[in-house]
Amino acid sequence: MIDLDKAAHKVSGFLSERIPVEKLNFHSMVEKKEVPIHKMSWGYYTGGLTMFFFLIQVVTGLFLLFYYQPTVSDAHVSVEYISHYVAGGALIRNMHAWSSSCMIFCAMVHLLTAFAMKSFEKPREITWIAGVLLLFITFTFGFTGYLLPWNQIAVNATKVGLQSVEYVGQYLPGQLADVPRILRETFQGEASVGQSTLGRFYALHVVILPLLLASLLGLHLLMVQLHGMSQGVDKPAKKAEKFISIFVFKDLSLWATVFLALFVVALCIPFDSFLPFPLLAPFNALGSTPQGIKPEWYFFFVYYPLELLPFWVILLASMVAVAVLIFAPWIFKGTSRRTLGFITLSASAYLVVMTVFGEQIYEFFKH
Amino acid sequence: MSLCTTRKHLLDPAEPALGASGFAVFAALACCTFFSLPAFSYPEFQEFVEKHSHKTVNCAMCHTNENGPVGEGKGQIGSLSPDEMKRLNSARGALEAGQNVDSPILNKFGNEIIKAIGKKKFVQLKGDPSKLFDALPGKSDLDGDGIPDAQEYMDGTDTLNKFHGDPGKLFFVNLSRYKLHIVLAIIAVLSLNFGLLHLVKGISILQSKKGG
Repeated sequence: MIDLDKAAHKVSGFLSERIPVEKLNFHSMVEKKEVPIHKMSWGYYTGGLTMFFFLIQVVTGLFLLFYYQPTVSDAHVSVEYISHYVAGGALIRNMHAWSSSCMIFCAMVHLLTAFAMKSFEKPREITWIAGVLLLFITFTFGFTGYLLPWNQIAVNATKVGLQSVEYVGQYLPGQLADVPRILRETFQGEASVGQSTLGRFYALHVVILPLLLASLLGLHLLMVQLHGMSQGVDKPAKKAEKFISIFVFKDLSLWATVFLALFVVALCIPFDSFLPFPLLAPFNALGSTPQGIKPEWYFFFVYYPLELLPFWVILLASMVAVAVLIFAPWIFKGTSRRTLGFITLSASAYLVVMTVFGEQIYEFFKH
Repeated sequence: MSLCTTRKHLLDPAEPALGASGFAVFAALACCTFFSLPAFSYPEFQEFVEKHSHKTVNCAMCHTNENGPVGEGKGQIGSLSPDEMKRLNSARGALEAGQNVDSPILNKFGNEIIKAIGKKKFVQLKGDPSKLFDALPGKSDLDGDGIPDAQEYMDGTDTLNKFHGDPGKLFFVNLSRYKLHIVLAIIAVLSLNFGLLHLVKGISILQSKKGG
């Protein structure tokens, strides 16, 4: 009993420090809030940009819902119909595709800058963990959305992805070994990727994940407003600007400029044109698997190492990376911003090299 | 390697199926006997495009069926109706350029090639598939994406899908095509930003006056 009381006291102490109820008012959270001005101030805009791309995803996704048919017989045809026959359909679909990539890019940059600026420091641990979970949900959005056009690359890449989930079971002890298989069966819904899979991925993509993301985003934003912007640099900034209205207006101005860039890119470059056309053909269950099946670019940092190294190495590295990300506030508690900056630069270099040159590195080592 | 290429040994009379199984030889002979002309496939063009563009392409570049003309599937010889067989044989006879070609085993681009240069010249180009670029009409753009078919052939992109092409080329073509939309969007965003930045300036002045 005594132990339970102690634990409860500890938890309530932890939560009261992280969620100061006395600050839960408009004056503290909005009117009083200030944003420090220093050399890393640009980092404060990356979170807002990620949210902006999410809003674009929601709006364009709602438009696509009017026409998209989540059945194996009609999914591909409905996507073609949207692109070729619906007024503005191609633009909306392209904006959805481009903004999904931009959202993932901005979420990764936001996480890296927040790490380098040591924004996870006490009392912002909940903000950080919510942010890491938001990044994982964003990746899951990408994975589930990839299947929906039901073309050759979509279905075959999903098959590979789901198989990888099952492989994890080999390395887990006891009854845990069954969990990945059960997970795969649950999401796949039948013996092979088919109608049940499409239905489940669709439900995840348009209902479950948006709800999850919106709730976590709400928590994340509440925490950001509650604690204000983190200091970001070692020496406290001499200057600061009001969150309302200066920072918000600057943010809106940036959003408008980014929207213009997205509009031009979506209007001029069809997202699909980066893929070889045989991969865009409707999925043929009886046909052979075409060459060049690979995931979206934002999975390259794990996909190419997976092709080169034993599965267990990547699994172990991924598990360590996830654990380090989640427990960063405690692991890097006493680490200087200089060291964090070095770690961030190294991680960024790895991500850029694997994303841009991953294929060449793979070819170099394989042949 | 696609089926187009692997079937080459079975279908190309220049390379008879000596190494194939007895069944394959029999099937090839049966095909030749059944049809007035043997079914040719020309994997040289596919191989050239893949090598030149570094992109994967398949038989759907010119054929109705992504697995080529041979088989029982849609757009393949084994599934053709008598009327379609008639159209196929008529297309096979289009040796010179300028004849209307409507072969059911070829897609719009495949038919356009035969119509533009004739079957005789097409077969001659087998030895140097790069010359097809010069042989095709420079202005022909079947999908209307702004990139000529001949260029799309070299780029290994879909000649019949206006949303598929070399991304860089598509960008400049569409930039010119949608310039009015883009100019209007730029004016809208500049106006919004002008308003927002002046609002920020105004608020800063007010705040500094309050502070002073």
